[in-house]
Amino acid sequence: MKEVRRHARLLGLYFSQYAKARLEHRVDFFTSVFASFAGTAASFSVVLLLFSRFPHLGGWTFPEIVFLYGFSLVPFGLFNVVSPNLYEFSGRYLTEGRFDRILLRPVSPLFQILFESFRLESLQEVVTGTLAVVWAVRRLPDVSMAGLWLLPLWAVFGAVIYVSIFAILTALGFWIEDRIGIAPPVFNLMSFGRYPLTIYDLKVRVLLSSVIPFAFASFYPTVLALRKAEFIPFFAVVPFVSAASLLLAVFLWRVGVQKYGSTGS
Amino acid sequence: MTSPLVFVKDLVKTFEVQKKAPGLMGAVKGLFSSETVTLTAVDGVSFSLARGEMVGYIGPNGAGKSTTIKMLTGILTPTSGTLEVDGMVPFRDRRTYTRRIGVVFGQRTQLWWDIAVVESFRLLKEIYEISDHDYGLRMKEFDELLEIGRYLDQPVRKLSLGERMRCDLAASLLHAPPLLFLDEPTIGLDVVAKANVRAFLAEVNRTLETTVILTTHDLDDIEELCQRVLLIDHGKLLYDGPISGLRDRYLPEVRIRFDLKDSALSGKRLEISGIEAENLGQNRFQVVVDLRKMASADVIREVVNRYPVVDLSVFEPDIEEVVGRIYKDHGRALPGAPVSERPATQVRASSIRRG
Repeated sequence: MKEVRRHARLLGLYFSQYAKARLEHRVDFFTSVFASFAGTAASFSVVLLLFSRFPHLGGWTFPEIVFLYGFSLVPFGLFNVVSPNLYEFSGRYLTEGRFDRILLRPVSPLFQILFESFRLESLQEVVTGTLAVVWAVRRLPDVSMAGLWLLPLWAVFGAVIYVSIFAILTALGFWIEDRIGIAPPVFNLMSFGRYPLTIYDLKVRVLLSSVIPFAFASFYPTVLALRKAEFIPFFAVVPFVSAASLLLAVFLWRVGVQKYGSTGS
Repeated sequence: MTSPLVFVKDLVKTFEVQKKAPGLMGAVKGLFSSETVTLTAVDGVSFSLARGEMVGYIGPNGAGKSTTIKMLTGILTPTSGTLEVDGMVPFRDRRTYTRRIGVVFGQRTQLWWDIAVVESFRLLKEIYEISDHDYGLRMKEFDELLEIGRYLDQPVRKLSLGERMRCDLAASLLHAPPLLFLDEPTIGLDVVAKANVRAFLAEVNRTLETTVILTTHDLDDIEELCQRVLLIDHGKLLYDGPISGLRDRYLPEVRIRFDLKDSALSGKRLEISGIEAENLGQNRFQVVVDLRKMASADVIREVVNRYPVVDLSVFEPDIEEVVGRIYKDHGRALPGAPVSERPATQVRASSIRRG
């Protein structure tokens, strides 16, 4: 418990230090925020256009679609904020030898990789997503209040799922030199969770609810608020999926570090 | 003397490396076969260090130096042998162990590149859980010794190499580790900066009794700082002792240089005690005396008795020369190192490993 508190304090410090350094170049920072926002806005408007034509796609109304899409941006944005080093782990840390320095500090290696740098501009996704959810809630006739109150917490669980899945993929770098990259296709799978699961066929549904459980990060967290009775059991499972993927990631990293210790690469 | 701080016995580190045949066909073959070659980077190294010692760890590139250091710092696990530092097994107890060591890589900073130096120090304060009191005390001390106060508000990327090195040294000692590893701490520094770094290290070693393991190619570092030197090549420890002993053992010779009064002998062959003197131009001559065969005093006496000498000086080979000779000779005919008997599969680790 003491270690958890220490790591939490460190996370705050890493973040504020990074933010401070980033904000020294204000113009650069705001340009990135704007560019990031433009990207989100573009893909969001495509969705809006598309779904405004089919008001009941997969049994979901237009405000419900906006609610889901908006919510999905929140765990996705949180993931984007901490993920830049995960992508660069193999090249930047293993190949260039920076990982040695990580191992010389009394802090969890995975923690250091995740929080040594941030993609701050992705916080706009969290804000944009929240605004979309608020817009949708005001247009939805019947929303479960409990589902709404739990939403922020479930967003964090969702972000943990995303981060854990990519941490697992990154840990594979300890064993194989991944030249082609398995991360990009998996990254693209994340966007599947932004739409009602009901529009996909069974294979995709099963994939997103099992091997790569992205449906637990963005879709299932919304079903309680939206009163989608048939999916509500899955809502309750979200924290467990989140914890399980995190444990698996931490475990694989531990084994990976052991492997690094015996081969030095 | 109490128990040693660092205890290393029969330390071995081997790496399994996939055998690669050249060319495209080789690459294709590599996909299916898993033939591996065992490389021995560290081959039965033993030594121990007492608290407060300052030792130089030297050897040519690829000799096994950095592999040893990586095992000592807990980055790598030994293949076999015993390794214990400060009552801990570095790799097994890595997380706790890192609080008891400081590490400086001359070529790579441990400070965060974009933030002010003082902010990096604050992060380290939290990482190592240093109390406000200790932190304040040490910062004051480091400022006195290293004069880093002036740079604290600047980001690391704006510092010169010398300034950065001073900050890195301070950073590595912030948590007052009893053991400090330095890898090329003076690389790329000018004469003044080098002197500053050395003076600081000597002071730290004296006042805090910090044990220091120094790997470097700059042998002046070693000569000025270390009472003891460990020399490694082909993964084996070749020498462990005072630096002067290195000279006695591997290059026991002196050069006697003398100037004669008149130029009558210029261009003539002179022979002293059976050694031919080299004419260095005009009236200056030099003889190289192998100390294993004769005493330099005898040679000097003969020179002075036979010739009209106006000036005479004796030079010992400097340590660069001694070590250069060892690196060059080793692998051919060095006493006590049967290199030629090594199995053919043991390739020098340098060919595959970085740094």
